[in-house]
Amino acid sequence: MAAASVASAILAVTRKNPVHSMLWVLALFLHVAGIFLLLGAEFLAAVQVIVYAGAILVFYLFVLMLLDVPDNDSQPRFGAHWPLAALGGIGFAVLIWLAHSGAPTPLETDVALGPASIVGNGPPLGSLRAVGIALFGPFALPFEMASLVLLAAIVGAVVLARRSAKS
Amino acid sequence: MIVPIREVMALSAVLFAVGVFGFLARRNFILMLVSVEVMLNAVNLSLAGFSQHLDDPRGQVLALFVIAVAAAEAGVGLGLVIALNRNKPGASVADLTQLKG
Repeated sequence: MAAASVASAILAVTRKNPVHSMLWVLALFLHVAGIFLLLGAEFLAAVQVIVYAGAILVFYLFVLMLLDVPDNDSQPRFGAHWPLAALGGIGFAVLIWLAHSGAPTPLETDVALGPASIVGNGPPLGSLRAVGIALFGPFALPFEMASLVLLAAIVGAVVLARRSAKS
Repeated sequence: MIVPIREVMALSAVLFAVGVFGFLARRNFILMLVSVEVMLNAVNLSLAGFSQHLDDPRGQVLALFVIAVAAAEAGVGLGLVIALNRNKPGASVADLTQLKG
């Protein structure tokens, strides 16, 4: 599943047709949702499928088809600097790998300081109950702030899309 | 079922690298935004992996916030795309050198 997600990600950033690329991104999101399930994060997997694959991707596809992007067969899909970009990506991966392999494994460090102790040994990790207790307990204020961010984004998107229509 | 954190981190790093490459190399503005989504997905993956590794639901809550912010980013980004496309139809990213429409 990990190999499939990497393959679909690479296909997604290299396809020429934007719609094909979007469909590969959809495959990637579904595979990542499967990995969430393997990690025991059931609610996160459901949110991934519904919000990412269902809402955000459809939004992207909608705009893509609304704008009627011309087939840019004449110009290359990558800029002239794409080897530099590939180097940057690989360098970033190597950096993460180095940072990860140099760090001590977190098993030795003390774990489960905050909300885990609230949850205790009741509901299993990743169930809707555990996530909900954490979300509305210690994370209530960030939760409200997330809703404010979404509201600001809605207003901003409407303003951005309307002002140019008037001019 | 326990998935080792090392594999999760490796996959997350590779996905993030692919996203970085896509963001830097693609010329279609929408696909650059999609590459950002790929990067956010990689981060979510590592958050969920650490959440399982440390047996702590906070990582999953953080991943939920990341998804919310990604939705907001998609809304604003696509609003920008529509505004840009109305002002300069068919412009590629390299042509957009000024912010004033």
